[in-house]
Amino acid sequence: MAKDSYLKKILGAENFSRIQSSKVLMVGAGGIGCELLKDLVLTGYGEIHIVDLDTITLSNLNRQFLFRQNDINKSKSLTVSKAVQHFNYLNAHLVSHHGNIMDTNKFPITWWEQFEYVFNALDNLEARRYVNKMCLFLKKPLMESGTTGFKGQIQPIYPYYSECFDCSTKETAKTYPVCTIRSSPTQPVHCITWAKEFLFHSLFDEVESDQNLTDPNQIRSETDNEAEIAFFQKESTELAELRHLITTADPPTFINELLVKIFKADIERLLLIDSIETRRGSRKPTPLDVVRYSSQLAGLLADVSNENILNLDTKMWSVLENIYVLYKSSEVLQERIVSGRESSISFDKDDEDTLNFVAAASNLRSSIFGIEIKSKFDIKEIAGNIIPAIATTNAIISGFACLAGTKYFTTPSHGTDYSAITHKSSTIFVGITPNKYITSGTLGPPNEKCPSDALVSRGVFKISPTDFTTLTLGWLIGQLENYGYSRDDISIQKSNSKLLYDIDYDDNVDLTLASMSGLKDGELILISDDSDQLESLELYINIAEKTSLPELVLRPKVTHDEPEQENEDGLLENGMDVENDGVILLDSEAENEENDDLLIIDDEPSPKRRKIA
Amino acid sequence: MTKDELSAQEIALYDRQIRLWGMATQLRLRSSKILIINLGAVGTEIVKNLVLGGLNTIEILDDSVVKPEDFAGQFFLPNDDSVVGQTKLPLVVDRIRELNNRVNLSINTESLDSLIANKQYVKAFDLVIATELDKQMILKLNDITRELNIPLYVSGMHGMFGYILTDLIEHTSVSVKEAGNQPRVVGTELSRNKTITNVESKEKSNDEIVTIRDVFSPLKEIFKSQELPKQLNKRQLKRLSGVVPLIFALFDITRPNDPDTVIDVEVLRVKAIEICNLLNIPAETVTPDYLDVFSRQAFAEFAPVAAVIGGALAQDIIQFLSKKESPINNVLILDAVNSEMPIYSL
Ligand SMILES: [Zn+2]
Repeated sequence: MAKDSYLKKILGAENFSRIQSSKVLMVGAGGIGCELLKDLVLTGYGEIHIVDLDTITLSNLNRQFLFRQNDINKSKSLTVSKAVQHFNYLNAHLVSHHGNIMDTNKFPITWWEQFEYVFNALDNLEARRYVNKMCLFLKKPLMESGTTGFKGQIQPIYPYYSECFDCSTKETAKTYPVCTIRSSPTQPVHCITWAKEFLFHSLFDEVESDQNLTDPNQIRSETDNEAEIAFFQKESTELAELRHLITTADPPTFINELLVKIFKADIERLLLIDSIETRRGSRKPTPLDVVRYSSQLAGLLADVSNENILNLDTKMWSVLENIYVLYKSSEVLQERIVSGRESSISFDKDDEDTLNFVAAASNLRSSIFGIEIKSKFDIKEIAGNIIPAIATTNAIISGFACLAGTKYFTTPSHGTDYSAITHKSSTIFVGITPNKYITSGTLGPPNEKCPSDALVSRGVFKISPTDFTTLTLGWLIGQLENYGYSRDDISIQKSNSKLLYDIDYDDNVDLTLASMSGLKDGELILISDDSDQLESLELYINIAEKTSLPELVLRPKVTHDEPEQENEDGLLENGMDVENDGVILLDSEAENEENDDLLIIDDEPSPKRRKIA
Repeated sequence: MTKDELSAQEIALYDRQIRLWGMATQLRLRSSKILIINLGAVGTEIVKNLVLGGLNTIEILDDSVVKPEDFAGQFFLPNDDSVVGQTKLPLVVDRIRELNNRVNLSINTESLDSLIANKQYVKAFDLVIATELDKQMILKLNDITRELNIPLYVSGMHGMFGYILTDLIEHTSVSVKEAGNQPRVVGTELSRNKTITNVESKEKSNDEIVTIRDVFSPLKEIFKSQELPKQLNKRQLKRLSGVVPLIFALFDITRPNDPDTVIDVEVLRVKAIEICNLLNIPAETVTPDYLDVFSRQAFAEFAPVAAVIGGALAQDIIQFLSKKESPINNVLILDAVNSEMPIYSL
């Protein structure tokens, strides 16, 4: 059976067998993961490990083609490797891990060492940064990829030879001033933020969790209008009282108090302090006429068939309908808490009760401030940080990720000297124009200001259990001198910044490594050169069979005190476009998303120079 | 299922794409009937993407039997060596249907040659996609689609290389775009035959409503077009690779039956240089390196390349049907060796 005829022709027989005997890791089995796994399996990769902590939901099925309706709620990582068996024509060995890649107990550094190549197919910044760092510690090549809507990007990362994931800054969630949210909204998103992060949070979520919108210091930094500050304080007190009513009053009382206090009395109080200064461009609010609506609301509530309103996700609800939805959702939320089933409730876009509450409250506030009403469908997108995602872009990006990863296996290997493969590789940005479908760019060197790979080298410090309990910190300092450090100039810190050693603090020198509090397997220590000659070194402590320190040559320390102008030039030289085109919002909360193959487009790469085929 | 509204279940299933292209596009997809000719690796990717997208009807036409090399990229085939020699489509249809049972999926194992004689057959579709066809068949099919006023996409791959040719006859798209520093001007040719025909500024926003009209050449014009050198500046022309003439040359060469067969380099060279002359591009673009690569990789299927081409083609069909974005006009080339994907208007 010549199933592999084409692969041998395209890749070369020797390269193909190198791919077949390789072991690679794919982190994430969502939109990109499903497509990428298909490509890797069909390209002949020998052993593929898949890590994902998510389960399958209905909205995954429009693009994550390895999942079916009856897979909903099952583990993504376990389901993909089963599904792939249908076309595992080349007998790849698939190993699934249902878990969080950042779990060091489940995935210790020794586990990472087995892989030759790492493919990221992740949807959140935190895990991406973590995998990037692990690959820097172990000098493993990493393929970073992401999509949003019609756009997507791949970035091959060859540690210390090309830019790492952290070399370019990523856009994070937009935050709004407290005053915009709490007293002067002008856009639907302000009201949605208010409904979700202020009103819902104050009423139903854990009180202790940090709350920027009620932080007095934050408020004082934005306004010195004492009347406005007093207004904010009064409103917070009222919310605390309302929260108390959840468990002490019946639903009609609670909800009536909610409507009167939040949508009428508070707005009336706001009008008392109304001025250009507090308005900040927002319209003059009109308090909700609760009395006028209450009889109509009673009419709606009397007929059970009106519950259908809650399902009209794409309709613009009227003010009355919004009041109705607020009533119905409050009633259920109150019941969930009163019944003792839940002590608090967090907003979750897939929890219909919380979404209904936030949608209705946000719309009522919008109508008060003369802002357009949004459908529940649209509010869900904003409140839930949903990033649109489609099958085609994921297929294209995964195809390129597989091709670029495979290039590593068809290029002669020189251990961790990645200069040849770095030179041969490109970033690819998918963004359609009339004349080209993609823009590719050469891999730039690490950004000299990057905290992850330019200012510090990383490595694994292996130490045997015996050596760990017998060798001292003084011994380690001696070893560090082999890197060119001087014992008089370095300081050694634990990851939590606790100082272990410097020239003025040698108390620990005669202690064994094991007896120093907190030093253990998986802990990081940072060595810095206070004489500014050499870069810093971060070591990952790994209790292993044999003791060894990483082989590496430290680079001279780069200091940055050039004027601003030169910095900008430096950015341009790195091939980055200053004008952002197609920048994707990366929301810090997107990690809660079940399915978004989030793209991080730093900047569109500049056109690359031609390479020889 | 009403004609002009999506059900709550459809909205929930298609949530993440509706948020991108809107309900109106989703409704257009739901009312479109598409014919796809040949289910190779590229066809497999296209079908996967369009079935997931939620089209109304997809008919797959392919009379071939399973060959061992099909297992390289045709992932709907059962993982069972004993199916080699059996007719392909009945073996894959259930697995395709599983992706999305809302789509009317049908298979047809008659030969294209016999069906093409019957225009009524082609007429039933809103759009035709043809993959892995030779030039003679492409032109025959295009004559019919032109006559019936049906848009045609043509696609295929050769190892690390792939192509999409489009004759969509004409297309008008209206989209909301952010207004740049320079206002868009009516009459601007974005590329040959792709023209801005209307610009309106959208009230209370920094957006413009832009109408773009595309006019397409019949495919027979593409094969003898002299437009390519006009679309390149001197530097681009100098670094133009042999990919275009070699892909075009392979339209005139019969696919070998044995996947291990290497296309005769001399035959390929002569053909490619003939095409260079026809297209008015330098014969030196056909370098020995490229000849060697193409002689070995001609017609070879490779999953990641199929994914890129199949993804781009399915995406373009969705753009076309949506009437919101301007489609590929009219030759897209994928060079996965150099990570390039230019679009030429020939
Ligand atoms: Zn970096």
